[in-house]
Amino acid sequence: MKAIYRKYRREWSVLIALFVTIILFSILEPSYLSATNVATIITQSVTYGLMGIGMTCVVITGGIDLSVGSALALVACIGAQLAKAEVPIPIWVLICLGFGFLLGVFNGFLVGKLKLQAFIGTMGTMQIYRGIGYVITGGYPVLNVPRSYRNVFNFKLTSTITFSVVVFFLFAVVITFVLKKTKIGSYAYAVGGNEDAARLSGVRVERTKMLIYGIGMMGTTLAALIMISRLGTGDPSTGQGYELDAIAAAAIGGTSMAGGRGNIFGTVIGAVLFSALKVGLVVMGVDTFYQYIVTGVVIVIAAYIEIIQGTMLAKKSN
Amino acid sequence: MEKYIEFEHITKVFPGQKALDDLSFSVLKGEIHAILGENGAGKSTLLNILHGVFPATEGEIRIDGKKAEFSSIADSIEFGIAKVHQEIVSIPEMTVAENLFLGKEPSRHGIIDKKKMNLETEKLLGRLNCDIKPTDRMGELSTGQKQMVSIAKALETEAKVISFDEPTSSLSDKEVETLFQIIRGLKEKGITILYISHKMNEIFEICDRASILRDGMYITTLDMKKTDRDEIIRAMIGRDTAMFAQRTMPSQRKGEKPVLEVENLCGDAFENVSFQLYSGEILGFFGLVGAGRTEVMRVVFGADPYKSGKVLLNGKELHCRSPRDGINSGIALISENRKEEGILPNFNNMDNMSLPCLDKFMSGAVISTKKKMDNAKKKGSMVGLKPNEPEFMTASLSGGNAQKVILARWMSTDASVMIFDEPTKGIDIGAKAEIYLLMEKMAAAGIAIIMVSSELTEVIGMSDRIYVMRDGKMTMELKRNEFSEEKILNYTVEGDET
Repeated sequence: MKAIYRKYRREWSVLIALFVTIILFSILEPSYLSATNVATIITQSVTYGLMGIGMTCVVITGGIDLSVGSALALVACIGAQLAKAEVPIPIWVLICLGFGFLLGVFNGFLVGKLKLQAFIGTMGTMQIYRGIGYVITGGYPVLNVPRSYRNVFNFKLTSTITFSVVVFFLFAVVITFVLKKTKIGSYAYAVGGNEDAARLSGVRVERTKMLIYGIGMMGTTLAALIMISRLGTGDPSTGQGYELDAIAAAAIGGTSMAGGRGNIFGTVIGAVLFSALKVGLVVMGVDTFYQYIVTGVVIVIAAYIEIIQGTMLAKKSN
Repeated sequence: MEKYIEFEHITKVFPGQKALDDLSFSVLKGEIHAILGENGAGKSTLLNILHGVFPATEGEIRIDGKKAEFSSIADSIEFGIAKVHQEIVSIPEMTVAENLFLGKEPSRHGIIDKKKMNLETEKLLGRLNCDIKPTDRMGELSTGQKQMVSIAKALETEAKVISFDEPTSSLSDKEVETLFQIIRGLKEKGITILYISHKMNEIFEICDRASILRDGMYITTLDMKKTDRDEIIRAMIGRDTAMFAQRTMPSQRKGEKPVLEVENLCGDAFENVSFQLYSGEILGFFGLVGAGRTEVMRVVFGADPYKSGKVLLNGKELHCRSPRDGINSGIALISENRKEEGILPNFNNMDNMSLPCLDKFMSGAVISTKKKMDNAKKKGSMVGLKPNEPEFMTASLSGGNAQKVILARWMSTDASVMIFDEPTKGIDIGAKAEIYLLMEKMAAAGIAIIMVSSELTEVIGMSDRIYVMRDGKMTMELKRNEFSEEKILNYTVEGDET
């Protein structure tokens, strides 16, 4: 038990923070824990979570992907157009996932092969992907996605919970498995820990980055499909700033921005915490402007806890 | 001479570990005093207490009869104690003068007085007789020159005690010579020097006395003029080291056909390099830093591209374009920069060991933790890793043990050619001896070994044959019965073309 605690101390502290948040809000506002509210929290965390999981993969390699918000919009537009063209549903899902994967691989190509700094390279594609979305839609949202396509991710499991939550959960499990139990996962941690050492240990660094950026973008792709399901539209202007929410979920969950460290469980809890906080502030009737401040403060505190735990660890091992 | 620094019953306890145990000895005024011991003996801990990094748990330090109790590094500098860093900390974008006066820039009316700063710097550098200008950018200096700046900084604080921690580890021979002249100069000015190094010949060359620590305890202080290498080593590791850097078995070279052949290989830093390596052989590569040895090995391994020439393994030409190709062909390269190019700091021992050959630890598409762990335990015990725990983080091991993890990594790949680049750099004598023995065992198992080394005793002691390189060219091949220090050094420095 103690060993487990030690190994996952970071995840414990996020979990505790989540409970504290929930308890605090439910004391201040008893209706916070109503079924609809809990459903809203979970549903909202699906988008942050899926994108955050993808971001976690990329950040583990020592990179970052600023293009995910734009990619979300682009995949949503293309997905909506394909749905309106009545492409068979399984093929529709596969095409979208494949397309999203390629968007990620292209980022990985810029960062891995051309050796651009991840921040700059993906800032470029952030603009490019956004622009392509506007070009193919003429700037207008793609409306009226057929019901059958919307039902793929949006059919209701209970009165309030939809299938999208299951997708979120499954994606988290699959990516955890990929990171912990497959070669590409080990290589991702190796590249993020020490790129030169990884290369000299036979890790094909460029290929690893391309694959991981691609796999990471699948999370955003799923988030885009779920967004189509929920809203019935693909909006080329959606997802602005979502890359920051994805980074926030990863960071709150204990993923080191320096690379080499982080796991999906932390990010999932981080996403739920992020969502619980935002919903809580809305339920409490806190002014939108203050919501920004509170969210920002939470991110700063999370980062600081990371540092404190780092120093404590260093002191212990001395 | 009078006692200048007195360590009195110093004990330092870290959680779960006693780093220093009731240690007492004294250093005389104006002497060059070596502090020796294996990694983990407590040298760094002792220096950290002296420099005010952390306090001692018990005991006190007296300097010139005054009790010295520091709560910060700044305190110790105020007291006249300076440190020349092992890894020099500086800001590469700033000039030498700006680095020297960082945080205490002379100013007039709130504006930095550059003229005065540069003038003062010139004076300080003049005392060291080195050709660095105050306006040189720090980042453009060589490691040796940076160290001069570090010493100038110590002079600037008017230090009475200066400690040097492995000062020569990345210096050229000429720079070492200059450094020693300066250290002797400091001594003449009455400055007391503490000198930490693993290099025995340096200690004999420059130090007056040496205090030896082992496992956090003070063992003895020896006068360098009245002792010898063996006595010091015995005191450091507590056992006889007649076997140190010596072969314990006869040559294990087998077969008439070489395993690895390199023909007229040309790369960026070397040209027309040719050599053969046989199964069971330990082949030494000697030369100065920058002679091109590391570059040749990186090309053979596939880490760097080459211009022309051939590399043949068992008679077949190799075209390694990446380390992956090299590993798949059965070549292993143990890099000289363990920290930068070896260890994954975020990995534990078993993951560090299994990284190059994860294919061996799969059950289907899944990596088996059990297989990794079994391998780590087995290879860990083969290399004598302490603690041999697969889940221990490699980055928190000592240098010698981290090197053993790297050896275990490459043993896991079942390589038939193992290239060791400076295999014992920065590790203590006990671990060195173990690593030599391991190399012999590998050779006995039929592995072909290349040992690139800048330590002459190591190359002469361990090799079956030696190739000497200078300025990117092969200058000499020597068989074991032809080994002599003079001969080798001759070809290292003057180098007749062969």
